[in-house]
Amino acid sequence: MNGLGNVFNLLAYAAAAVFILGFLYKVIVYFKTPSPLNIPTTPGPKTSGGVVMRLIPEILFFRSLLKGGAAEKILWFGGWVFHVCFLLIVLRHLRYFTYPVPGFVMSFQQIGIWAGLIFPLALLILIVRRFTNDRLATISLFADYFVLLLIIGIGLTGILLKYFMRTSLVEVKAFILGLVTFSPAPMPDSTMFTIHFLLVLVLLVYFPFSKLMHAWGVLVAPTRAQADNPREVRHMTPWA
Amino acid sequence: MADFKTPELTGAVTTPKITPGASRHIKQFIAKPELMEKVGFPPQKASDWKEQFIRKMGEVLKKYKSVKVFLDICVRCGACTDKCHYYLGTGDPRNMPVYRQELMRTVYRKYFTTGGKLFGGLAAAREISDELLDEWWVYFYQCSECRRCSVYCPYGIDTAEITMAAREIMDSIGMGSKYNLEIVHKAETIGNNLGMNPDALKSTWEFVEEEIEEKTGVRAKLPVDVEGADVLLATPSADFFAEPHIYSLEGYAKVFHQAGISWTLSTHASEGGNFGMFIGNYNHMKTINKRIWDAARDLKVKRVIAGECGHAWRAMYAFSNTLNGPFDFLQHKSPQHICEFTLDLIKKGALKLDKSANDEFTVTYHDSCNVARASSMGNTPGDQFTIPRELINAVCNKFVEMDPNTTGERTFCCGGGGGVLTDEVVEIRVKGAMPRMQEYKKIKDSHGANFFALICAICKAQFTKVFPYYGIEMEEVGGVHQLISNALVMGAKEGV
Amino acid sequence: MPTLEFEGKTYEVDEEGYLMDWSQWNEGLAGVMAKEDGLELTEAHWDVIRFLREYFEKYQIAPMIKILTKELAKKYGKEKGNTKYLYELYPAGPAKQACRYAGLPKPTGCV
Ligand code: HEM
Ligand code: SF4
Ligand code: SF4
Ligand code: SF4
Repeated sequence: MNGLGNVFNLLAYAAAAVFILGFLYKVIVYFKTPSPLNIPTTPGPKTSGGVVMRLIPEILFFRSLLKGGAAEKILWFGGWVFHVCFLLIVLRHLRYFTYPVPGFVMSFQQIGIWAGLIFPLALLILIVRRFTNDRLATISLFADYFVLLLIIGIGLTGILLKYFMRTSLVEVKAFILGLVTFSPAPMPDSTMFTIHFLLVLVLLVYFPFSKLMHAWGVLVAPTRAQADNPREVRHMTPWA
Repeated sequence: MADFKTPELTGAVTTPKITPGASRHIKQFIAKPELMEKVGFPPQKASDWKEQFIRKMGEVLKKYKSVKVFLDICVRCGACTDKCHYYLGTGDPRNMPVYRQELMRTVYRKYFTTGGKLFGGLAAAREISDELLDEWWVYFYQCSECRRCSVYCPYGIDTAEITMAAREIMDSIGMGSKYNLEIVHKAETIGNNLGMNPDALKSTWEFVEEEIEEKTGVRAKLPVDVEGADVLLATPSADFFAEPHIYSLEGYAKVFHQAGISWTLSTHASEGGNFGMFIGNYNHMKTINKRIWDAARDLKVKRVIAGECGHAWRAMYAFSNTLNGPFDFLQHKSPQHICEFTLDLIKKGALKLDKSANDEFTVTYHDSCNVARASSMGNTPGDQFTIPRELINAVCNKFVEMDPNTTGERTFCCGGGGGVLTDEVVEIRVKGAMPRMQEYKKIKDSHGANFFALICAICKAQFTKVFPYYGIEMEEVGGVHQLISNALVMGAKEGV
Repeated sequence: MPTLEFEGKTYEVDEEGYLMDWSQWNEGLAGVMAKEDGLELTEAHWDVIRFLREYFEKYQIAPMIKILTKELAKKYGKEKGNTKYLYELYPAGPAKQACRYAGLPKPTGCV
């Protein structure tokens, strides 16, 4: 299996590189593209401290979605639960990447398992929403279903791995640690794990080229990230 | 009145069913080649317009972070879909903000993203074509740049930014809006949107003085080009032409007179509005705005005050410091809004007011979107909502609020903003006004509201036009300074 | 370019029927335009048209509505010197319909 293991190692490195470089590239492009005018959506904070206070509830609680009606409440629920679960699951997975496993990662184990079970349900809400509402059905693209299905796929194969088609965790950990420490180890002998792992790689590669960049965009969108201070500060335009 | 059905006022704003193409036929006139050239755009589409189009789009993507980031990050969550008054009024899916943006995003994918280049249609990428361009023409001129969608979007995506960019791209290939460009041209060459030359302005202002004198017995002056005046007032030229705008102009003049403040109008800077903003063109916006600051410098005024106009206030408050600042020569280093200024005077006790003069009115107030979501007043965020209301309460006994879901930052646009206020698209204007009309009708029925107070020249013109379609008298539309004008007791000076 | 035919002559008009060159105007044209709208031009209509043209010749712009109504008030008294009456005369709006009949360009702006 060593040969195949090497292919997966290579794929993993390639995917990680695409993700990291692609993400950084987007971050740099966003940073470098100027905002010629002061365009915060008002009422907005007048200082950069205020901007941070404006963004925190947007990031932690999707605050603006809460301003909407019934459809947005459903979206808020599905979307928020999904994101929190996603985060918990990522944290839980850190135990495969570390040795010894730090205490905080251990403390996420139990809740991470719950998150793993709830997460496909939240995604189900998000996907059903898309074809049951005429407005959403109109705007939804193949790409929107694609990411949702991809992540559902990751979640379900994860659940299968945990409860039905268990694989050797020792091998998994050895494989992942091998990747992280650049000393490749063989791929665990499990079809289900192979699928789970490949789907994650697809997500990584897809991320920087897709709407998933909202994870960074939410921080830099000028309508929210600018302070409403044209009276105090002369906003300058580099190109004019 | 016309060959379309005015929406019924049921007393509730409901989300309509999707009706593809419902407003596809509503189009603004395309500017003639001579006009295009006068404002510095190519006269018409050239044979290589597609290359020009893509080149310009690339340029815009490099110049505007908003456009670049917004095109990338929308998750199509749908939160904005039922927030646009044009969608609510027409049911045309292209008037859902995200689906309006999609017209640009699909081209963006094709030419500027890896996925779109590799996978084409599967990645929802489309080549630019005559047909797609025509859709751009229709739907990017059915957006009033009101930013309501941005309020509800989890990332603050502002369709107005996309619309402005789209209009800029279309202008750059020789496809401009007759209405908008005629106004830009007049503002840049004559000095105001209406094209009133200095003689016309002077005779009109004199007429207004006479009107005030006739009504009050006091000749409150409308000083013209006075060097060394304290205040330069830049107000939309509609205030010199239309009703009810003119009554607010009387109001400003009376306030200045009673408070004993030396002020002036300028024949050079006789426009507060700025249609350069509506077409997303930085240079035109700057040129139009510059007239105000040239006049302020020439007349050596100490402060500049903006009259009642939504987008003019955005241009003055949020953009002018960038465009033509800094304003070190002023005592008040930033332009002020007439509402801030008048409320200040009232609080100081400089004006004597008789509220009962407005007793025939039950007033409600419509937050103009450019004031509500694109600028502010006072010192604290949200003062742009409280200041006009404090003013109204200072001069009226009966003030009632419309549904809070439709005021403040959530206010609906009048339906005529952002360069849409032209007759050939009256259908979209009437339908786009529907959400606001529902709420006004509701408050009329429940509280007897009969005065619809505004601080935006476009709102005033738009509502005077559409009220009759909904069976409401156009006389119910008025300005906040019109109410102040009614209540202001002239003559007896109380001292400042 | 759309045109208007009258007494064997062709006049250029814009998309909305406003005369391209205001100096080409003659009284007959106003009649033609009104007829298309199903309007009968009375003396009061003519007063408005004539006043608009006089004002335009002096200032290259149509007058503020208020100035127009005041002019009507002078001649016909207070009950006719108001915007309502103007709208009765010109249902599509005095600034726009009356200007068109008078051969003037359409006022543009936030009006
Ligand atoms: C690594 C980080 C993130 C990932 C992988 C991610 C992934 C996703 C995905 C796949 C969707 C689409 C759901 C759908 O189509 O229905 C989505 C939607 C959304 N994301 Fe994220 N997201 C991330 C970070 C964030 C952050 C930091 C925010 C904070 C504001 C956020 C806010 C939202 C919102 C509001 C939606 C729309 C709701 C929805 O459609 O579910 N996301 N995200
Ligand atoms: S609310 Fe924002 S993210 Fe959601 S569909 Fe609209 S523009 Fe896109
Ligand atoms: S800016 Fe206003 S008009 Fe334009 S899409 Fe958004 S809500 Fe609609
Ligand atoms: S005209 Fe008034 S309500 Fe309409 S877009 Fe402007 S400020 Fe907004």
